[in-house]
Amino acid sequence: MNLFKIVVKNMRQRALATWLTGTSVALGVALAVAILLIKQGVQQRFEQGTLGYEMVVGAKGSPLQLVLNTVYNLDISPGNISWKLFEQLRDDKRVKLAVPFSVGDNYHGFRIVGTTDSFFKEFEFEPGRKPELAEGRVFNFSEAALKSAFQEAERRAREREAKELGEEVKPAAEPQPQPKDRPFEAVIGSTVASETGLKIGQTFIAAHGVQPSAEAKEHTENPWTVVGVLAPTHTACDRGIYINLDSFYHIEGHEIRRPTAPEKPEEKDNDPDPGQVSSIVLKLRSPIHAFPLYREINDRQDAMAAFPAAEIRKLFDIVGNIDRLLLAQAILILIVAGVAIAVSIYNSMSERRREIAILRALGARRATIFSIVLLEAVTICLIGSAAGLAGGHLVVAASNGFLYKASGFVIPAFHIQAVEWYILAVAVVLGALSGLGPALGAYRTDVARNLAPTS
Amino acid sequence: MPDVMDKSVLELHGVRKSYREDDGAVLDVIQIGRFTVGPGEQVALVGESGSGKSTLLNLIAGILLPDRGEILLNGTDVTKLAEAARDRFRAANIGYVFQSFNLLQGFTALENVLLGQMFASHGSGLERATKLLETVGLGKRLHHKPRALSVGEQQRVAIARALVNEPSLVLADEPTGSLDAKNGGVVLQLLRRICAENKHTLLVVTHDPKVQEQFEKVVRLEELS
Repeated sequence: MNLFKIVVKNMRQRALATWLTGTSVALGVALAVAILLIKQGVQQRFEQGTLGYEMVVGAKGSPLQLVLNTVYNLDISPGNISWKLFEQLRDDKRVKLAVPFSVGDNYHGFRIVGTTDSFFKEFEFEPGRKPELAEGRVFNFSEAALKSAFQEAERRAREREAKELGEEVKPAAEPQPQPKDRPFEAVIGSTVASETGLKIGQTFIAAHGVQPSAEAKEHTENPWTVVGVLAPTHTACDRGIYINLDSFYHIEGHEIRRPTAPEKPEEKDNDPDPGQVSSIVLKLRSPIHAFPLYREINDRQDAMAAFPAAEIRKLFDIVGNIDRLLLAQAILILIVAGVAIAVSIYNSMSERRREIAILRALGARRATIFSIVLLEAVTICLIGSAAGLAGGHLVVAASNGFLYKASGFVIPAFHIQAVEWYILAVAVVLGALSGLGPALGAYRTDVARNLAPTS
Repeated sequence: MPDVMDKSVLELHGVRKSYREDDGAVLDVIQIGRFTVGPGEQVALVGESGSGKSTLLNLIAGILLPDRGEILLNGTDVTKLAEAARDRFRAANIGYVFQSFNLLQGFTALENVLLGQMFASHGSGLERATKLLETVGLGKRLHHKPRALSVGEQQRVAIARALVNEPSLVLADEPTGSLDAKNGGVVLQLLRRICAENKHTLLVVTHDPKVQEQFEKVVRLEELS
């Protein structure tokens, strides 16, 4: 027989109250752990996701929207920028690599991204890591075909405008390239492959829009053929469907609209923009070029530049406040649980007083009685906290499936953080504090009065 | 010191205990000039209900402190000991049997007896606890909780618990008060027999004439003042 056995007996004797109070501690701890794990995991993954994206360039608007759209395949594109700008940046001596992206379609919710083969051959999504093919090959891409696709997209836009205005549609002066003459090829991310079951050689039909919708128009006339499957990168790339950029502009609805031609010949642009893209990812030859180039681009009327890492940090500064609120809520739950433990032990004190008096009559010291009650509160808190820690990790593990589907990455659910030891320590202190009042009451129990027969 | 004191297990000298009532009046509960009990003696201390018998036992056990006077057990004045030392002394030297058994309901018969050992510095182990329960006829009920035992059996567990530390003095407060006549007789005989066999001094307080009849030495509380 020892003190801990007495504590366990007491807890078993009041099993319901013990379970309820222990569960409330577990819930508070689980919530706190889950919040911390998710916050740290998401932030880490998001920051990791920006490593290969030194700078992104897109239409004027929200830099965060541009970053989310380009780097994480989230949100919608803020608009288009000119192909001429892409060419300028690609040819800029300060730029090591420029990769264009065009978005606007999806397949079963997975975003279709029009790009060039440089995305696979030169782009590193993390330093030293290029998107690798698990099987198949990269799609065929040629800039000549892209230019031709731009022309066709512009012609379709003119035809549509003419139809809308009720004007006669002039036939093209020379035969136009037809979509069927172009390769409609796609390289799919690992998640896309596992979720949709698409395999090399299979075809799929894209739907218009970046989100799935029942009303979305399907591009039934131009199915894409899967020619490659990427190995998992644990980034947003896993959820992308990458197509050759020229095929993107062969699709109905992807027209290139231009401002109405100026009436005065002197205002006419002698070097018209051949096409448009949604965004450009840049890698620079040296970090010293980052800010001058950033300022130059942002001084333009038609484009802006953003640093993904800085935008993500800003995002987490905002989200951090919500984290703190949730954490405060978890701490409140823990405090309420602590009060519940104190109330539960207090409520049982009338029946305990007799037991305490018996133990005192058997020779137990006041300090021993004090320790028993305190140890009981601490034990409930410790068991509740341990269950809460395990529960928090299990919640994160269980939500990883959803998170992976939504964002393409998972959080290491069973990685124990240093802060969890602090949570356990806090639980012990909380237990001790909640047990302090009842323990003092037990300490002061009048032995003679409580030993007297009750009837 | 007189010779008789050297031979006594228990000695009380000039012990007084009073309580202050709600209206401020002082109520004298215990006033004892001199009271001694020798080694191995079995004494019935009798008095009317409310005469302070239980208070006296609590004073002897060191649970209560007298306003004045000495209470010596085996030569140690328990009133001079600090509270923690008094608790340890009680655990090692006194066995206590209550009218309402006072067993812990969440513990089995054996565990209740082991609890009696827990706070004594010379706990004698599982073997003695088991043997004592066998002696009181509960060898097959070791792992039963009090609710599963009859009242007579519960009091036998309480007796085993009181004796587990081989105390020099066993205090019994109306030990048959919650039992029917048949069970009361059996339990009292058992208590007396084990105390006699083990040379434990026994002090029983009672107001029951049938209990008094079984003791050679009967002391009336009011005669002690």
